[in-house]
Amino acid sequence: MVRQVMNMLSGGADRPIRRLLTYYLFLGIVVFALNAAWPGFDERMTGGGGGPRAVDTPTLLQDGLDPPPEVTVATDIVEARKVILSVFVMLLGTVVLMLPVSWVYMYARNTRGHNQAVAQTLIILPIVVAGIVLIVQDSLALAFSLAGVVAAVRFRTTLKDARDTVYIFLAIAVGFAAGVQSLTIGALLSLFFNLVVLITWRYDFGRNVLETTSSSKWVEPLESLATDDVESIVPDRDLMMALTPASAEALATKFERVSELLGDKKARFNGVLRITTEKLAECQRLVEQELEEVTKRWQLDQVVTGEGKPSELYYLVKIRKAMSPDDLITAVRGRAGGMIVAAVLEAGETLARAKEEG
Amino acid sequence: MSARVAALALVCALAACGGRSQSDIAADSMEAATRMSRVTAAVANQGLNGDGPFAKWILPPELAEVSGIALASDGRIFAHGDEQGRIAIIDYRTGVFLKRFKVGERTINGDFEAVTIVGQDVYLLQSNGKIYQFREPAGDERDAYTLHDTELGDKCEFEGIAHDPRLDVFLLACKQRGKKPLDSLTVYRWRLGSTGVEGVSVLSIPNDLVIGANDWKELHPSDIAVDPVTGNYVLVARQERALIIITPEGDVVESRPVPGKILNPEGVAITRDGILLISDEAAKEPASISLFRWRAKAPPAGADTSSMPIDSASTMPDSIRP
Repeated sequence: MVRQVMNMLSGGADRPIRRLLTYYLFLGIVVFALNAAWPGFDERMTGGGGGPRAVDTPTLLQDGLDPPPEVTVATDIVEARKVILSVFVMLLGTVVLMLPVSWVYMYARNTRGHNQAVAQTLIILPIVVAGIVLIVQDSLALAFSLAGVVAAVRFRTTLKDARDTVYIFLAIAVGFAAGVQSLTIGALLSLFFNLVVLITWRYDFGRNVLETTSSSKWVEPLESLATDDVESIVPDRDLMMALTPASAEALATKFERVSELLGDKKARFNGVLRITTEKLAECQRLVEQELEEVTKRWQLDQVVTGEGKPSELYYLVKIRKAMSPDDLITAVRGRAGGMIVAAVLEAGETLARAKEEG
Repeated sequence: MSARVAALALVCALAACGGRSQSDIAADSMEAATRMSRVTAAVANQGLNGDGPFAKWILPPELAEVSGIALASDGRIFAHGDEQGRIAIIDYRTGVFLKRFKVGERTINGDFEAVTIVGQDVYLLQSNGKIYQFREPAGDERDAYTLHDTELGDKCEFEGIAHDPRLDVFLLACKQRGKKPLDSLTVYRWRLGSTGVEGVSVLSIPNDLVIGANDWKELHPSDIAVDPVTGNYVLVARQERALIIITPEGDVVESRPVPGKILNPEGVAITRDGILLISDEAAKEPASISLFRWRAKAPPAGADTSSMPIDSASTMPDSIRP
């Protein structure tokens, strides 16, 4: 449903920055409308909802001689309702502000896949943090108690990607902002963070010039899909048959974009070499020594290890024109033959050329 | 369909929990009117309740360390309580916090100890004898200030300031010299614009005379005010919880513990219609301003009431004598 609303608001734009800005704009309009219709709403976001706060408008100070009136059931209910409302707005605010962060987390990645647990944590963690801050408030004793409890629980986890840690930090910061009822700061934090992440991702900021760009890593396989060769367009018939018409159309659109992106550029690699081995480290060293000598360029793409079964090394290779796929396999086996269980080369153009010549 | 019903119910619940209602505002207005009546009745001697205050306003947390108070001509109290030059304005008759503002275009930090008002100008005293002069801004903007250095900072640590309109001088109450307590109650008189020892005199009364029958060992004045009716100087001392009244000539009119249950008297002011206001810094209790019925006392019979010239060096300490 959220996707549909976003599509409607952004006019179907598929650029992430545009969709993100649309979301925040929509959020701002909702807050503005709520504030206009309900004057006390902004106080719920910025500290008016509960606890001692600074006085901004003429306010009656408490009378120190007359004891405060006894809390009647009616007063109690009104106060309880205000507290519930404040906490509700605050917690809802964390979810609303962290949703786009989780989208960016899942979308703006250079590596394949994302950690679903982290994506869900980004939504849930700020709620917990905000709740803790609310409970502790100005109490030093509670703060010390909290530190003790956290130390006892020893909640620790290892995140694979260093950037995931930054997302977790942001979740904590937004939770804090909500806890001290400064959702405005939390909103700005969320917006600015997302924009910076998207921009650094979009322009591949910090990429080593000697490495391929994240987009070109997938040039070879995607190029084969974008070719006019009918067999290549549908690499897996069962997979394509499982797609809905809408999904197939979306996939086709993506292929078109990739095709436009590739243009007339030459492919950096023209084959994928898969090596299956029991002795991963030693075999990898020998294979790479051989690839260095016999290929124009190569790159280790993936290492798949599994318990109780041989490991697999995947290399992207650019085979020299003078060399056939069989020559490459022979050369690699010659260097590390004793360690190789299986060696397979999937080469597009080179293979076709070899067939024609053969 | 069910989602729409749930959303509608949520909107209704939010609307029901809305902001301040008209009835809340009306109740506050009624409470303010009641308080005003109480203060008016107390001034007319109809509501006096012994030695205790007839009104007491609990200050917000930002004024927990309320250091000084000063009375404006329109009946508002200017209070300050932090180290960033922030002024709060309170209507003492109704206990309504009216507004706050910061001094200077940029936040100034310092050990602010007391405040006084002359006409439209507000004077905020630092413990080192520097005085910031400024005016209350009309809105939220922050106005510039003028800084005056009395050059008395090395003579004394100041905690109180008041203006004596008859002599047109500022009274600076000295708390202690360095870490050493003084053996006399010392009030410097400083004329605006004077530099060095020029235009400075000092009123010094031995502690023995001031303490009298009280069980205080020393005196650490924390604020000073001028009684608008008699012109006497009224001081409070925090550590001793003392209330001291002296004449401008240096005669002790009265010295006694502060009335009520004021634990940390940090500021004092007196209204023309006979109300003594004392600010109480937060300790076990929150900070507050208490209102007491005030009867001006004349100096005791036989006391020397001859006026003391502003430049008199008769009681001036050696250290600042010309």
